[in-house]
Amino acid sequence: HGGARHEREQLAERRVLLMGLPRSGKTSMIKVVLENELAYDTLVLLPTQQRTAYRMLAGITVYDFPGIDDYSDSQYNTVSPEVYEGDTTALVFVIDSQGDIQSAIATLFSVIRAAQSVNLLIPINVMINKVDGLSEELKQDIQHDIQQRVLKNMSIENLDPSHVSFMLTTIYGESIREAFSKVIQRLVPQHSSLETILNSFCSKSSLDKVFLFDKATKVYLSTDSSPTFSPRYAFACKTIDVVEEISSLCAPYMPAASAAAAAAAGGGGGTGGGGSSAADDDGALLQRVNVGLDGGYDEVFMYQVSHALLLFCFGSPRIINQTSLLEFNGSKVAKAIRKILSA
Amino acid sequence: MPGPAVVKKKLVIMGKSGAGKTSMRSLIFANYTANDTRRLGATIDVEHSTVQFMGDLNLNIWDCGGQHKYLDSYLSEQKENIFGNVEVLIFVFDLETSNKESEYVLYDECLQNLGQFSRDAKVYCLVHKMDKIQDPEQKKTVIEAYRKTLIQRSSMFRPGVYGTSIWDHTLYKAWSEIVYTLVPNMAVIKKHLSNFCRLTDAAEVVLFERATFLVVCCTSGYDDEEPRLEKYMSVSQGIKLYRNSCADQMSPFRSTHIRTRAYSLFIEPFTKSTYILVISADPEVEPAVTKANIDAARAHFSRLAD
Ligand SMILES: Nc1nc2c(ncn2[C@@H]2O[C@H](COP(=O)(O)OP(=O)(O)OP(=O)(O)O)[C@@H](O)[C@H]2O)c(=O)[nH]1
Ligand SMILES: Nc1nc2c(ncn2[C@@H]2O[C@H](COP(=O)(O)OP(=O)(O)O)[C@@H](O)[C@H]2O)c(=O)[nH]1
Ligand SMILES: [Mg+2]
Repeated sequence: HGGARHEREQLAERRVLLMGLPRSGKTSMIKVVLENELAYDTLVLLPTQQRTAYRMLAGITVYDFPGIDDYSDSQYNTVSPEVYEGDTTALVFVIDSQGDIQSAIATLFSVIRAAQSVNLLIPINVMINKVDGLSEELKQDIQHDIQQRVLKNMSIENLDPSHVSFMLTTIYGESIREAFSKVIQRLVPQHSSLETILNSFCSKSSLDKVFLFDKATKVYLSTDSSPTFSPRYAFACKTIDVVEEISSLCAPYMPAASAAAAAAAGGGGGTGGGGSSAADDDGALLQRVNVGLDGGYDEVFMYQVSHALLLFCFGSPRIINQTSLLEFNGSKVAKAIRKILSA
Repeated sequence: MPGPAVVKKKLVIMGKSGAGKTSMRSLIFANYTANDTRRLGATIDVEHSTVQFMGDLNLNIWDCGGQHKYLDSYLSEQKENIFGNVEVLIFVFDLETSNKESEYVLYDECLQNLGQFSRDAKVYCLVHKMDKIQDPEQKKTVIEAYRKTLIQRSSMFRPGVYGTSIWDHTLYKAWSEIVYTLVPNMAVIKKHLSNFCRLTDAAEVVLFERATFLVVCCTSGYDDEEPRLEKYMSVSQGIKLYRNSCADQMSPFRSTHIRTRAYSLFIEPFTKSTYILVISADPEVEPAVTKANIDAARAHFSRLAD
């Protein structure tokens, strides 16, 4: 294996380190979230032999490490301390909730010691995986138990617990995408400016909640600072899926000539006022879905920021009926976001 | 104006145990997903359910459990009860049956009784679990073989034969076509839908039944004869699944509107028993206009279709 110097050159600046015992589900998570594989197809994954890099949005790279059997194992000591360096590095440690929690925690501590010895501020995200099929109560118990043990040991060893967080995940559902969202958010360039923009979009357009989504992975890069409820996030994912599906099915067949004409007209037409550069040529301007009963229903709408990103907004229909205002604000916000992310 | 009288129609689903009768009924009429059907147990005797449909059609569904003890009784002491007043008989053949001959014998006996008690009934044969065959050519061959045999065996009834599976669109396609023949004034509805499509300059218009999201009727402004039914089936299934997740969220699905530079699309509640899909390929047409057109047509269609 290459020496430390070589590794430093290779590593992406914005990076997520994915570690844990073998078969805890690291590679599956990547396959499901980043490569849109079905959870069922991960049943046949082979053990990861080598650190593997997966690129995701906003220049972030996820490194899938081989499972750690025994931290003293020489194979694992080849992880050079530099991988933990940098203020845009995050650690994810995956624990199989149905597996050997004792040794998972022991290994976690070896990793924490190694990581904090070079980077005291490194975020440590503990994903308690494979919670599908567990009752709500059992899930809470398991999380509580792991959390207590980790925090207690940290205080005994005098390690700083303030950057450790815990989440329950399963690849059979949206919780894994939400967990990834939380991990990558602070690695996104200028994440605090993004949040400010989304906060202002929310208040100016009287929206309840806004997410900035990466379409391909349904990971969100940012959201306004109001609390995020998991069912809402999961619902947004399902909505993106159905709208994608319907629009890819229903995009009308167009003879080449009129397709070209439509593309040419696209620049000028579409949104009322100022929205001409709002979306990619093939992009959707405004996609909306009404949910709820007549009268008191909720409405969601999506606004395409670029071919890769979209804004997902929740609001009441009273607000959302003001289509032109929303389109206008949406196009401004989209422009600001594009500027920030390309800078 | 008084509405049309409620039309009650009896639909009997028959076949050997494990053939997939309850599964398909649950998918089409009860919001099950294909995976959910693994939980189903054998049906005890006959399970009755009623579904409100378009055109004041009340479908009375008889799902007949297929275990021997029940079959024996359907064909003897219960025969008048089961086979009387039948509008449609759907016979489900299990592609993976262990005894094809006895399935055919059962079919013969059912048709015999049907001939005696409901001479005018329509018969549909669904060759089910087609997902077990991968090769499309082989699928065709198998269905053709069934069709040939079945037509031979069904002297006075000319059955429609379909290959189906709960794992793809084939099941929706078959059921859409079955239901299509049941709605009393379908021809009129179709004509009005074409008019609507032409008057509003829409590219495509599709009517879905509200509860099942089965495609009931579709029309397009294109002059080609391209079959788009597959596509609408996919939309229907997508919406149906999505509707389930909305229900989990306690906020029922209502409508959707997608607008891009090239086209706009509406899926809206239409009449009491239908949803409408309107695709407009002309980006110059303001969505508000399309929406107003849909609203204007609603009252008219309500008289026709509800
Ligand atoms: N592979 C495959 N399996 C299917 C299909 N349809 C149903 N099944 C499975 O077949 C099994 C039996 O289905 P049921 O619907 O309970 O059968 P039934 O005909 O109602 O049986 P009885 O009620 O005993 O008459 C279930 O495990 C279904 O998941 C299909 O299209 N393909
Ligand atoms: N039930 C369940 N199984 C999972 C989950 N995540 C991963 N698995 C399974 O766990 C096994 C090992 O996963 P893998 O990604 O190879 O683990 P790795 O060694 O940590 O990369 C695979 O069979 C996965 O299908 C989960 O959330 N729930
Ligand atoms: Mg049954």
